[in-house]
Amino acid sequence: MLDDFINQFWPSTIDGLSLGAIYALVALGYTMVYGVLRLINFAHADIFMVGTFAALWTVQTMGVSSAGGIGLIGVAVVMALVAGAVSGGSALLLEVAAYRPLRKKGASRLAALISAIGASIFIQQLFATTVIPWVFDTSKEGGKLPLNEHFVSRNDVVDLGPIHISNDKLIVFVGAVLMMIALDQFVNRTKLGRGIRSTAQDPETAVLMGVNIDRVVSVTFLVGGAMAGVAAALYFLRFEQAWFFTGFLLGIKAFTAAVLGGIGNIRGALVGGFALGLFEMYGSSLFGSEWRDVVAFSVLILVLMFRPTGILGESLQQARA
Amino acid sequence: MLLEIRDIHVHYGKIAALKGITASVDEGEIVTLIGANGAGKTTTLKTVSGLRPLSGGGIVFDGKDISKMPGHKRVLAGIGQAPEGRGIFPGMTVEENLLMGAYARKGDSSPELKEAYELFPRLAERKNQAGGTMSGGEQQMLAIGRALMAKPKVLLLDEPSMGLAPMLVQQIFTIIQEINRRGTTVLLVEQNAQQALQIAHRAYVLETGRVVKTAPAADLLDDPEVRAAYLGGDLGAAKGTAAPPAAPAPAPEPSATSADAGGPADADSADPAGTRADDGEGGTAP
Repeated sequence: MLDDFINQFWPSTIDGLSLGAIYALVALGYTMVYGVLRLINFAHADIFMVGTFAALWTVQTMGVSSAGGIGLIGVAVVMALVAGAVSGGSALLLEVAAYRPLRKKGASRLAALISAIGASIFIQQLFATTVIPWVFDTSKEGGKLPLNEHFVSRNDVVDLGPIHISNDKLIVFVGAVLMMIALDQFVNRTKLGRGIRSTAQDPETAVLMGVNIDRVVSVTFLVGGAMAGVAAALYFLRFEQAWFFTGFLLGIKAFTAAVLGGIGNIRGALVGGFALGLFEMYGSSLFGSEWRDVVAFSVLILVLMFRPTGILGESLQQARA
Repeated sequence: MLLEIRDIHVHYGKIAALKGITASVDEGEIVTLIGANGAGKTTTLKTVSGLRPLSGGGIVFDGKDISKMPGHKRVLAGIGQAPEGRGIFPGMTVEENLLMGAYARKGDSSPELKEAYELFPRLAERKNQAGGTMSGGEQQMLAIGRALMAKPKVLLLDEPSMGLAPMLVQQIFTIIQEINRRGTTVLLVEQNAQQALQIAHRAYVLETGRVVKTAPAADLLDDPEVRAAYLGGDLGAAKGTAAPPAAPAPAPEPSATSADAGGPADADSADPAGTRADDGEGGTAP
């Protein structure tokens, strides 16, 4: 058991970081929407799923097969652009259709939560019954689309003693970190970012400053959705599969990552994502891979027992002075 | 008139908070709304700045009916507000908070930033400090400076003296006068009626959602009823020599008792506030 863990330490770490990077990107969407609206957007998981199909469509349309090296980076960038745009747009539509009407009527947060769950099921079923058969010309049961041939040609690009990093994992990790830096700069350095932070900290005063809350909410959904889209492209690059139900477990994991790091806290989502990815991989090398999810959620429960606000706490809002 | 509030009604659910307030503010004036807790002072300001919807009446600003204008557009129209409780964004630095004040405006805001720092040198010293870690007095300065960043035609101030030590209160009121002297119209809501009436040109007295009295501020300072209800009549009585002018009021007995009932409570509530602010001030003294 412990031997497995020691033998598998470096591979688990690499896997954990590349998986955690994807969790972190998706967690950003949960945490940003929560920060601005105090709403858990459960349909965010399905925005991610939409992104994986956008990535699949890109690969099929470009006719990619066994890409490696610089070519693979190019494919990854195109996939990320397409999936980011499609997911971002879907998130924007979701907000306008499922949440904005409720906000305008002053509905309770519970109503918005139910709407989120409804929207989540709607998107899943829309893809399972309509979009997948139409766009991808498949009548496969449940619309699960494993690619028959791999479109990624994997090889180790880093070889340092016990550390081997394959090209796809490196692209996933670097791509995700680049997106995180971009988001951090956007939120902390730009005027729109200030608008988002002010709305999260004190929405009423933000209005007094001339912040258009509806616009901030739209931008938040757009950016969160785009992050999920990029995450979906990276996920697709790594696992080469798309399924209408992909979002469910991954969404729960990403939400867990957001809570683990401190919901509402952008940097917390990143810490939570990487931590969860590592815990899962270390857990499965210790106890066997069937225990992976058990380990992940046990860690969540333990952290919340001793730090109910998550690892970094809620800093986007902070205590209202 | 720069700002005309015409018979406005506002409801929270079924409860009427404002039952027909009519007031106006002319360009260059300092106008104050005084009254007890729950009189509707804050609600009036929030309604003017668009945070509360009207259920009746209208608001005309600068010749335009703004009754239906969304709140975030009223800043550009020229209404700036330092809200109750100051509304500092705790996770932003002082400078970021100030820049939020210019959020609605296009173009360079560095001249206004410079002016804010000139008006409040303390803010310049602390521009990289998180807003939430500042003392009460500094936060109030920040709230006022931030509202000025929008270059408002009228500045709405909600309880700027709340929780501040007497010395700081004096300083804030001096700054309000200075802002007015530089050409900004001020609509001031205060529980500290004494101070507010001393700097204001005109005043409205609010009671349970209605205007019960309006007059030049100096007249209200001498008004026996206002003195008894809002200016701590007991303090005058305690001084003994200051009391006689107020004594020949029509009904000395009841007014005296009501003043006594209200007076000590007033003093009690003012005192802890003073000590709290003193602590804050001590912490920030350079």
